[in-house]
Amino acid sequence: MEEESKARAERKVKRAAQLLFFRQHRIPGVKGWELKKTVGDDYIDVIEVLNSSLEKLGMEVKRLTEGKERSDRYIIVLKDNLTEKASGARIDEIAMLSATLAYIITKQGKVSRKSVEEFLCAKFPKHRVLFALDRYIKQGYLGEEDKVLFIGWRTRAEVDRKTLLDLILSA
Amino acid sequence: MRPEKLLRQINFCKTIQKESTNPFDLNVKKFIETLNQYLKTWKSRDELLLDADAISELTKIIELQAKWIQDRSSSFYIDPVLIELKLKLLEPEQLADAFFQSWHPVIALDRLTPKRLKQGLDYWNALLPFNERDDDFPAALTAEESAFEIQDLIDMSILSRAEFDNALKAILKELEALGRTEYHDFIYSTEFEESIRRAYLTSYLVSEAKAGLDIDPLEDTVFIYPSGARAGEVRSIAIGISHEDWLGWKRSQKREQNGK
Repeated sequence: MEEESKARAERKVKRAAQLLFFRQHRIPGVKGWELKKTVGDDYIDVIEVLNSSLEKLGMEVKRLTEGKERSDRYIIVLKDNLTEKASGARIDEIAMLSATLAYIITKQGKVSRKSVEEFLCAKFPKHRVLFALDRYIKQGYLGEEDKVLFIGWRTRAEVDRKTLLDLILSA
Repeated sequence: MRPEKLLRQINFCKTIQKESTNPFDLNVKKFIETLNQYLKTWKSRDELLLDADAISELTKIIELQAKWIQDRSSSFYIDPVLIELKLKLLEPEQLADAFFQSWHPVIALDRLTPKRLKQGLDYWNALLPFNERDDDFPAALTAEESAFEIQDLIDMSILSRAEFDNALKAILKELEALGRTEYHDFIYSTEFEESIRRAYLTSYLVSEAKAGLDIDPLEDTVFIYPSGARAGEVRSIAIGISHEDWLGWKRSQKREQNGK
């Protein structure tokens, strides 16, 4: 009986890991209601068990709040900082992204695209700035609506915004 | 009384929202006094609508003011001017370094399963060659890009689960009464919107195996039947519905009725 229940719990953790690791939609991760549907009502407990296994590998399940609990998105991210290069992006592109995010965060998470462009153009050619902003929007780091830029889902998932601002201030 | 002053204040509210400038730049008390001044003389519907618009914009600004205070009192708050200055002074390498130190990348993989490959192949087989498709034929949507799942509509309170289930039951009952019938004859109705609704509900009947489809690509016919009737191969297919096609169906229905 106990073994059966253990096996069932393991199956649930495996299923949750598959759902979270393998992309189901355009945006990685799964919503609370999807986990509930596939894993069961105890999906939050299952995530905790999965988290303890992932922790050993330096990963964690992150919960992105979307208002309602069942609409929250669960996503796996790297818990520790990267020690090696883990992006093919050029250093100036990362610098532009870093500056853009810091700029938007301090403006309460929303700012007109024009003002971001003007800000970045002080250091980079306009064509590079336009190309970079479009790329960040496509990658999910930024969102755009009515020529207003805001923090995208990927920044919320991947970037520790407070640390970013602290590091910029202390640099 | 000309509403220029009020229009200017409404525009100012919109600018604050768009440009994320300080919401306390708007003097709420003065705004309400202006509104009060106009409201005494306004009677027409347009004037009252403008008054409602002004109130709506004002509430948005008050909401922003609350958020502004909340934001400033949170640990996130750092003077934007200070950050801007720092950003201007830092070298690209320093900015990139700050980003990498606060970056925890998402870990996700794409997988291609035999089932998904089969779905792709079925989609390919069901798709007409490009030159045979209508110019207005919409670009194929993948499941990931499709607009709304039923759960999304329920979450958005556009539809309730009970309402949706009742609509499904009703259309299934209709299908069971008709038995095996031509797909387009089944979903098309006198109104195009209703036809889309029926096609949407029917897709759920098919997905939930409550109904099945007989497709003959050579004859270009699709028949639908209640699933109790028989069981067949399970695969994913796309059936296009267009306004033009629906108009053609309507014309043929009219001709049939006239013929009788």
